[in-house]
Amino acid sequence: MAIDGIATDALLPLLSEFLPCQRWYRGVDAPAALNLLHSNIERAGWPALVDLIVDADGEVYQVLVGLRPSDERPEFLRGHDEASLGEIDTSSGAAHAYEATLDPELGSTLLDRLTSGSEHAERVRTIAAEQSNTSLVYDDRLILKLFRRLHAGVNPEIEVTEALARVGFQHIAAPVASSQWGDYSLGVLQPYLAGGVEGWALALTSLRDLFGVQDTQPVPLVTEDGPPPAADPGQAGGDFSAEAERLGAMTAQLHIALAEAFGTEPGDSGAWADQVAAQVSAAPIPDNIERDAIDRVVNEMRNVSDSGPATRVHGDYHLGQVMRTDEGWYILDFEGEPDRSVDDRRRTTSPLRDVAGMLRSFHYASLVALADSDEIGLVAAWEERNRRAFLDGYIPAAENAGMLSGDGASVERLLRGFELEKAAYELNYEEGHRPDWARIPKAALRRLTR
Amino acid sequence: MVEDHDHDHDDRWYRRSVFYEVLVRGFFDGNGDGTGDLAGLTEKLDYIQWLGVDCLWLLPFYQSPLRDGGYDISDFFSILPEYGDLADAVELVEQAHRRGIKVIADLVMNHTSDQHPWFQESRQDSTNPKADWYVWSDDDQRWPDARVIFVDTERSNWTWDAQRQQYFWHRFFSHQPDLNYDNPDVQQTMIDVVRFWLDIGLDGFRLDAVPYLFERDATNGENLPETHEFLKRLRKEVDASHPGKVFLAEANQWPADVVDYFGDGDECHMCFHFPLMPRMFMALRREQRYPITEIMAQTPSIPDGSQWGIFLRNHDELTLEMVSDEDRDYMYAEYAKDPRMKRNIGIGRRLATLVDNDRRVSELLHGLLFSLPGSPVLYYGDEIGMGDNIYLGDRDGVRTPMQWSPDRNAGFSRADFAQLYLPPLMDPVYGYEACNVEAQTRNPSSFLQWIQRMLQIRKSRNEIFGTGSFEVLPAENPSVLAFFRQYGDDIVLCVNNLSRFAQPAELQLGRFAGRTPVELAGRVPFRRIGEGPFVLTLGSYGFYWFELVQD
Repeated sequence: MAIDGIATDALLPLLSEFLPCQRWYRGVDAPAALNLLHSNIERAGWPALVDLIVDADGEVYQVLVGLRPSDERPEFLRGHDEASLGEIDTSSGAAHAYEATLDPELGSTLLDRLTSGSEHAERVRTIAAEQSNTSLVYDDRLILKLFRRLHAGVNPEIEVTEALARVGFQHIAAPVASSQWGDYSLGVLQPYLAGGVEGWALALTSLRDLFGVQDTQPVPLVTEDGPPPAADPGQAGGDFSAEAERLGAMTAQLHIALAEAFGTEPGDSGAWADQVAAQVSAAPIPDNIERDAIDRVVNEMRNVSDSGPATRVHGDYHLGQVMRTDEGWYILDFEGEPDRSVDDRRRTTSPLRDVAGMLRSFHYASLVALADSDEIGLVAAWEERNRRAFLDGYIPAAENAGMLSGDGASVERLLRGFELEKAAYELNYEEGHRPDWARIPKAALRRLTR
Repeated sequence: MVEDHDHDHDDRWYRRSVFYEVLVRGFFDGNGDGTGDLAGLTEKLDYIQWLGVDCLWLLPFYQSPLRDGGYDISDFFSILPEYGDLADAVELVEQAHRRGIKVIADLVMNHTSDQHPWFQESRQDSTNPKADWYVWSDDDQRWPDARVIFVDTERSNWTWDAQRQQYFWHRFFSHQPDLNYDNPDVQQTMIDVVRFWLDIGLDGFRLDAVPYLFERDATNGENLPETHEFLKRLRKEVDASHPGKVFLAEANQWPADVVDYFGDGDECHMCFHFPLMPRMFMALRREQRYPITEIMAQTPSIPDGSQWGIFLRNHDELTLEMVSDEDRDYMYAEYAKDPRMKRNIGIGRRLATLVDNDRRVSELLHGLLFSLPGSPVLYYGDEIGMGDNIYLGDRDGVRTPMQWSPDRNAGFSRADFAQLYLPPLMDPVYGYEACNVEAQTRNPSSFLQWIQRMLQIRKSRNEIFGTGSFEVLPAENPSVLAFFRQYGDDIVLCVNNLSRFAQPAELQLGRFAGRTPVELAGRVPFRRIGEGPFVLTLGSYGFYWFELVQD
């Protein structure tokens, strides 16, 4: 197959070497089977842009290849050896093939193509920090998120943000444009939240300040009995609780908007309890956690008097998914947990599942900030204060809108169950990826089963 | 904010000026009677010039029974005898002008003292020539939507006058009856008052309590169209007779309402930006820029030639009313949760005591004051880090004598100590033996010397800082506040660390690639800006001002 004198087939052998060097590639070695599903070429002189969709050992990837004459060595490739595919022949001479998203000119081409020329940008920069996407930022005004590992069916990010925008939910970057190939979502263009800061960074700022207050409190020259009293997180300058309460209120609005956009179903605490039990049994629960206590939490969840409704939820809700901007909080990334199937991610469940995710995140932040200090009482007080503030913002608003059971005991038990589920999931993940952090979900499991 | 390109037009001097708020009573005692006076202030003009001040703002100096710090005026045409006489005022203005310093004064348009002869005449009966100079009524039920401002002392905006057998209207204290601006004679007389002082050389006025001049049924009596009309008339008449003067409005309202006092550039030249001040303190307390960037985002652009007045402290206390009028507002929620900030509401504190005498925080706050859009207004004594005496009560705690030297009475007065209008501070940290102008003038690393240097630097770029556009630069670190000030092709980048800990800043400066940041204090060139992020390390409460120099 040759388009405009460029043999896209010739790129395939280069891809075998290229793919294993990419963050978004799932395999470890070069794919055993690599098939080209689709190719397209944009060419009006150099540089040329080649869109490829390939199947590598059953996973589908979007690959964007840039081509420039071989004697050109553009500045943007310096220090990016992994971004080179190699040399190929074209009817216009030998060309160097590389990861196109690094090329600002091709970045502009992508924007132009997606918006049919209605958007232009002077400066383009690439963010490649995410696992399964590559993002291009245009003039700190727009962000194009390109999905690299593709799943059949509409991408939940596009589906959910478009639906939320339709019902007037303000706290999202509503899509400006998106692109699709057959069943696959390829990318989405959204407003860029310039100056936004992840909730995670803000929470750590608050904790850092709390430690600072502790360190700078005047120490009495003569100590009578015991150490001076610990700093009160409410008295510390970097108090996060007003933000936590706003976050809670916004989360309630999110669930109300999701219900409006996608509808609700009666909740089924039995099914939820089964999912919790399954998650727990898949996790390497330490021996010092009593199985009976776990079963008790699961059964209390199963037997609540009122499950409340089920609806679509965010699905992977934590402090890293919310962003504080000058206009307030925004929610990011509705793709859900990337390891779950799209169908699974689109399933309705209790909105308390998101709440549990955020509460677990407060616990994470407090223990990450603790590091090797022994001020456990201090960070526990911080977590408790912000947990309460978040729930103060969430529960009344969600309850009034019928998104939550009016029975406080049921809410408490469901929440406990979902927190257990999340902690078990985290333990699994941490043991596999960051064994040093496994202490955090272990501490949570101990607390939840006490 | 709009850029202003006609910088040769000196009528707009106030946009490039640094203001200095002076309590005449507390600055310097020229005649040894224990109270500061105009002659004393004149003696200290060399100090004010050295400091780098462009314009003095004098708190009220008119004849007054002094039941409200001189804001209760009993004769608009004469000076309070303790402060001197008209000749002293003329001398002060002339000596100031000789040093290139302008002088503006407080003027209360809304009301007078009940001791004012106008009111004494008006209260006689309902037929005398001044009967309609104030607002009288047979009952106290009219205008129920007008809030009571001084809720601690006043129960109603109406007070019964036994002599005239009627109620009179007052938005502030019951001894301060409101003038009736529906009476054309009142309007004309107040314009004459303004002209009188401009004739002796004053450069303008800080107009006290302007939103309340008129009253109308079914309104809250604030920001009425009639009030704006009158201010426009005042501006027009003064522009015609005395060009180049300034009106600085005190309208303690939300920025979106305050901008109305600029009119279309045909009303007040300047307005105070009230909500910014408490937010600067909150930003430092939270170690986050949001309190500041939110209010800047909500601040509308102002007409060409207008200017905000910004300040850290002044003679009034920090009140929640100034902070927010919406209970869902950001600051309201933050204050409600913060016992320390709540404690500081309603207590007059000076800057140094508010920041626990932390030199780094004081420097950062002044760095912000001198670089955010607007003309900075300093409060006397804050340049040496003076403290306060909260036991003096009311607002006197921040009105103690200026501390000139370690001598008797802080070098403020040669009177007997017992004769002083208020005792100077004598505590071991802020007292005059430790904290005074003389010692700080001799010490090259003193706070006073630092302020003086910063004002020099600001002055060298006063087109940019005074009139340049303002744009917040996104930074991922919430403790970092970075912004551009730009005037034509001249750009200054200000980067501030609001945290007590060292912080990294990663700034996207790609659009200025090729320029070199030169730090303004030391003229040190930093690494040339490239396409990638510009990485800086900021020390505890550190800040930089960079000029982005084109190679």
